[in-house]
Amino acid sequence: MGVRGLIALAAAGAVAAKAAFDASRAEDARATLLHPPGALHDGGFAARCVKCGKCIEACPYQALRAAPFEAGALSGAPAIDARSQACRLCADFPCVAACPTGALAPVGSREQVRMGVAVIDEDLCLSYKAMRCEVCYRACPLIDEAISISYGAREGDSIHAVFAPVVNAEKCTGCGLCVERCVVSEPDCAIRIEPST
Amino acid sequence: MKNAEGKTRWTVARRVVQVCALVLFCAPLVAAGWGLLGRFGGAQASDAAVATPAEGVFFGSLSSSQVGGVTILDPFAALQVAAAAKAFDPAWLVGALPVLIVYGLIRGRAFCGWVCPVNLVCEAADWVARKLNLRGRDEAGRPSDGARIPRHAKIGVAAAVLVLSALASIPVFEAFSPISAVNKGILFGSAAGLVTLAAVLAAELFWGRRVWCRSLCPLGGFYEVLGRAGLVNVRIDHAACVHCDACSRACLADPEILQPALDGKDAIVRAGDCMACGACVDACPTRALKLGVGRPPRPKAPGGATFGATAPSALGDAAPAVAPRSPHQTASTAPQGGKEGSFRS
Repeated sequence: MGVRGLIALAAAGAVAAKAAFDASRAEDARATLLHPPGALHDGGFAARCVKCGKCIEACPYQALRAAPFEAGALSGAPAIDARSQACRLCADFPCVAACPTGALAPVGSREQVRMGVAVIDEDLCLSYKAMRCEVCYRACPLIDEAISISYGAREGDSIHAVFAPVVNAEKCTGCGLCVERCVVSEPDCAIRIEPST
Repeated sequence: MKNAEGKTRWTVARRVVQVCALVLFCAPLVAAGWGLLGRFGGAQASDAAVATPAEGVFFGSLSSSQVGGVTILDPFAALQVAAAAKAFDPAWLVGALPVLIVYGLIRGRAFCGWVCPVNLVCEAADWVARKLNLRGRDEAGRPSDGARIPRHAKIGVAAAVLVLSALASIPVFEAFSPISAVNKGILFGSAAGLVTLAAVLAAELFWGRRVWCRSLCPLGGFYEVLGRAGLVNVRIDHAACVHCDACSRACLADPEILQPALDGKDAIVRAGDCMACGACVDACPTRALKLGVGRPPRPKAPGGATFGATAPSALGDAAPAVAPRSPHQTASTAPQGGKEGSFRS
């Protein structure tokens, strides 16, 4: 086999390796990417999204991006980086209207969106340290439903109260506005969205 | 588009269309002020809604677009989605229909020749490979075409993509398509298919001339199948052909598709692989080739023509037992039958 044959083999090998690598971590990619409203659950989104990008072009808040190279087989699919720009849950869901394959299925109302669920890191959250913050609570479009404040005495502390934000997973849409607004950055944001797709 | 001798320059026209196809999808993003490569939005999160490309009359990509509110969907992507989702939605067929009709009427692989950005990139890479002699020289001392893979292999690749899509439950080619890498890389900064694109370029430069487009691309395989019905065809004037082989050297598909026409067995280049790119027409020194509209029926093989001529005479032989015929009648029908038999209706 000459040099040219080797190059061809290397090219084919690179594509095969990339495909195998992406396939091996398809579950991981699915677990970390926050897809737009209406994205089908249980692999339905990945099965139908052709990465045409029309939802990206339809988002008036520029919250949708092509998922990066690391997303493997899902790279190029629409994803939300809630920390930089969360979903505003438009009343008419232009992203869903733009989808040609039903990877984003019609949503009745913004309350019915189930993109993911917010999860608070109680070790990082200021409120759980008995400081007053509640920024996520006020940022939540479903205030007092998806995030409510549970207040009570601080454990082992007779002076301070804790005003702790609590996520109701039944109500949370996963829009990510709480993540976008969270004031904690170091070592990490104190709230994240676990995607439901 | 004609040059000084008044000869049509299809390659020039095609270049214009290829570039227009690239620019067309960029236009809505640029017009809305979003910019390309996914570089839109500010560094700060914003509650302000902005004008979107989707508000215009046209937006989207090669996978799916919207024209005046009508959804257009890549038919091969639709097939992959049907396989991956194990479902069928009539809306997918409705979206794919305009594409199927347009390319079905023109020529399936006209997409490859005139629209596909990877073909444009590979043509450039092919030019570089020839100039720098990256694929070595053939026995005649000309730049070699390098490795060759049977052109129908891409139909097998297309079938394999559909099977894999069903098995992996994702539209496989959409995840690794080099066409996406160019088209959606420019539009959204998408990295999907970048590795495949790099491999395609390496193959083009160092391995075999046009090996991806000719033999491996599943979308090309899909359009090859569709291409068997196209109305835009390369026609040959057998009297003008001097068998110089310039067309075969120029052919961007596989030169073997020209052979039936060059051998005098067909009046057009019939293979579904023809991209109607016009490279052979431009290369022909005697203007024996031209792009024409319409699809003359396929001439019958010599055996078929004999059958066509003998059938009525066999009837004629048998006929006298039932109703006597004059020899003249039999003689006049036989050649007529032979003439009809030379073309399949």
